Amino acid sequence: MKVKCPECGAEFDAPDDVIVGEIVSCPDCGLELEVSSIQSGKVDVKIVRISGEDWGE
Amino acid sequence: MADRFLVVKVGGSLLKSGFPPTLLKDLKSAALNHRLTLVHGGAALVTETAQKMGKEQKFIVSPDGMKSRYTDRETMEVYTMVMAGKINKQVVAFLQSGGVNAIGLSGADGQLLRASRKKKLIILDERGRKVAIEGGYTGKIEEVNPQPLRCLMDLGYMPVVAPIAVDDEFQLLNVDSDRAAAYIAKALKADCLILCTDVEGLILNGALVKRLKLEEARENLPKIGHGMRKKIYAAVEALEGGVREVVVTKGALETPLTSALNHEAGTLIVPQ
Repeated sequence: MKVKCPECGAEFDAPDDVIVGEIVSCPDCGLELEVSSIQSGKVDVKIVRISGEDWGE
Repeated sequence: MADRFLVVKVGGSLLKSGFPPTLLKDLKSAALNHRLTLVHGGAALVTETAQKMGKEQKFIVSPDGMKSRYTDRETMEVYTMVMAGKINKQVVAFLQSGGVNAIGLSGADGQLLRASRKKKLIILDERGRKVAIEGGYTGKIEEVNPQPLRCLMDLGYMPVVAPIAVDDEFQLLNVDSDRAAAYIAKALKADCLILCTDVEGLILNGALVKRLKLEEARENLPKIGHGMRKKIYAAVEALEGGVREVVVTKGALETPLTSALNHEAGTLIVPQ
């Protein structure tokens, strides 16, 4: 399934079993993208904004 | 009155069988020369209590291999009950029994710890692939209000802080206690932060690291195991924020704080 990077415009393939919420990386610019919807073989993504690595106690 | 600030974090592993008596005695010694704030952990007791209440705890793994509790709404309720209730009050009562005039707080009191709620977390799912999930009730500390601590210490109390923060919408959030201690130490411009745990300090290549410069601590982060990595990361944050030194040490020594302050035990981490 085709994905278009919203940052650099590159088109790349996501795995066939990709799910909503999964993170895919753009092979051109390296940006991590979250799959926001999958409809009729079209995968929409958005840029992920994550802060920090620790998740509390 | 002493003008040097000391922040001590006591890990939950040390509290499982009660507050170490030698640590209590040494807290009293350290308090003679320092204005002292205590921060506690207690993650294992949160898990144990949640399970007793029938609330199974879900643990998630980050892409870097860090395993953490997933704090949903019900878990946050148990977390608040155990951290700000049972553990905080038991620590305060024990300190009071030993003649330390302790007073218990959470980060919500006086908005001591303000945090932004993490909207999303990236975890590795059962297929080993990265997935974004709702952030739950964990937060990144953004601001510390040191005034309540200063006021209490001015009046001769020793504040005991539970690792709970509050966000802009006044939601309670689970925050890591090592990092909470580091942020408090920064805000107080503390001379020293001591992270008391159940091991001697940072072990690298099978040996205790006695002294580490800030830059070396940063460089070694990827080589360090999960639990200790959070402590070293907290140490880095504290030093970057102006704390003069951080010691990671075993809390069950005869004089854990005095030895740490004299650079005779644990891992000392310094800016240069």
